[in-house]
Amino acid sequence: MKNNIKVERAIHNLTQEQLAEKVSVTRQTINAIELKKFVPSTVLAMKICKIFNKKVEEVFYLEEDD
Amino acid sequence: MKTLLLPYSVKKWGWLLLIPAFIGAIFLQLEWIPDFMNPSISIFGLFGDSIFSSKQDTAFRIGHLDLIRNLIGICFLIGGILVMFSKEKKEDEFINQLRLNALQFAVLINYSLLFLCFLFIHGFAFLDVMMYNMFTVIIIYILRFRFLLFNHSTNRNEE
Repeated sequence: MKNNIKVERAIHNLTQEQLAEKVSVTRQTINAIELKKFVPSTVLAMKICKIFNKKVEEVFYLEEDD
Repeated sequence: MKTLLLPYSVKKWGWLLLIPAFIGAIFLQLEWIPDFMNPSISIFGLFGDSIFSSKQDTAFRIGHLDLIRNLIGICFLIGGILVMFSKEKKEDEFINQLRLNALQFAVLINYSLLFLCFLFIHGFAFLDVMMYNMFTVIIIYILRFRFLLFNHSTNRNEE
């Protein structure tokens, strides 16, 4: 699954640390999601989108092999 | 999400039990503990037997045990469980996935090693294998989990 969290973070001027704090996870988790090493749960995905004021589909995309 | 984990505060007690027990186990294995420090005590047992003497098996009777050896084993187990099953300072779903990864890794490596031991270690030496095997899952899990945490905390990808 692809995502553009990194872009959205830049738009909202947030560091990984700050975003992690807002959705109460560790910075490593945000880092792993951005690196596509970890697919977040629906709850976490929706929390992140809420911070960015976006729909889930606008931040997370399915890939060909998903 | 509900997880079966103990609070973070017990982790330090876990390390306090685990590390001395680990060192003690090494001493015991190298036979650096003199006999007078390792008294045999009598205690009620559900079942006991003795391979090396002609005494009969005992069930629900007083039996003998090596105090230090058993104490080290108990401390190792309790310490290991506390370290394994206590939360990290900040616990989240990603850490939980690392836990699963470490547990799968530990069980797989543990049984792979046991398999090799079945093939290549014979006779009474296998008793040693069985003894170590009681603790290898805990040891491998902790090493693997710490490694994964370390790996992900140093792996930065900030712009």
